[in-house]
Amino acid sequence: MKTLADLKKIREKAQEEMKLRGGNVRIKIVVGMGTSGIAMGAREVMKTFLEEIANRNLTDVLVTQTGEKGLSSMEPVVDLIEEGKPKVTYGNMTPEKVKKVVVEHIVNGRVVSDYVVATGN
Amino acid sequence: MQDISLHLLDIIENSVRAEAKNIKVRVIRNVQKNRLRIIVEDDGVGMDSQTLEMAQNPFYTSKEEREKKVGLGIPLFKQNAEATNGCFKMASEPGFGTVLTVDFQLDHIDRMPLGNLKDTLLGAIVGHPEVDFDINLITREKGLEQSFHFDTAAIKEELGDIPLTYPDVIEYIDQSLYEGIQNTSVEDV
Repeated sequence: MKTLADLKKIREKAQEEMKLRGGNVRIKIVVGMGTSGIAMGAREVMKTFLEEIANRNLTDVLVTQTGEKGLSSMEPVVDLIEEGKPKVTYGNMTPEKVKKVVVEHIVNGRVVSDYVVATGN
Repeated sequence: MQDISLHLLDIIENSVRAEAKNIKVRVIRNVQKNRLRIIVEDDGVGMDSQTLEMAQNPFYTSKEEREKKVGLGIPLFKQNAEATNGCFKMASEPGFGTVLTVDFQLDHIDRMPLGNLKDTLLGAIVGHPEVDFDINLITREKGLEQSFHFDTAAIKEELGDIPLTYPDVIEYIDQSLYEGIQNTSVEDV
């Protein structure tokens, strides 16, 4: 069974890491979780992002959920927000596309233009 | 929606949009009573009786920015529950919050599966770090009760300034939920 003592160990490890690289969030991922997004598979998209972050040990990435934004025909929709860069919106996402976005965009810094449905604000 | 936990996720998102700070989720599988009950309770802005009535109408949405005024989340959940001899109850008080109770007949042929409760709860917890989730999973079968309680406020207190999206924390929450769901066998439905 997982206990709060396990969390204490995680906290100590994370604090060590943060001392080394600073606590900055490099990329924020926002997954659209409105009714139509959920019906089109946004839960699996969210889950795949979380799995990839855990597997690749990406400690400078943040994932959050938000409501609908009027792109219902392109759900599931995901925004990637990077400091000092225009926002990139990916549409019609699937777990496979998420894996590609994580490798290409988040790890290697190259936007996956095939999946982009909007940029900027 | 293909399963009950997707409906649950939709309802949780409603609570978040209603500015809830605390969301309680109960999943109670009662074999004796042949009932699967889902309760979601939030401390969001709540609704007056007129809005509460309208929320169950598919041609109403609280999403002001929308051009198409359609809100299918609640009506579909209600329909899916009522199709299994179940029932759907929503109570609310402006300024205090909303409670939703949904019952399904456990062995009804039209009852959707509970689905992936773990991924639903994991996404909601990590995706809304500003909200505290209090989760209870309960199975009552052959006079025995098995329960699992998960409170994210305690976890956040222990973590301090470490975010919930820290890789080891994601794994911790995922594993805890997995164990809780296995031990209470709520998903075996």
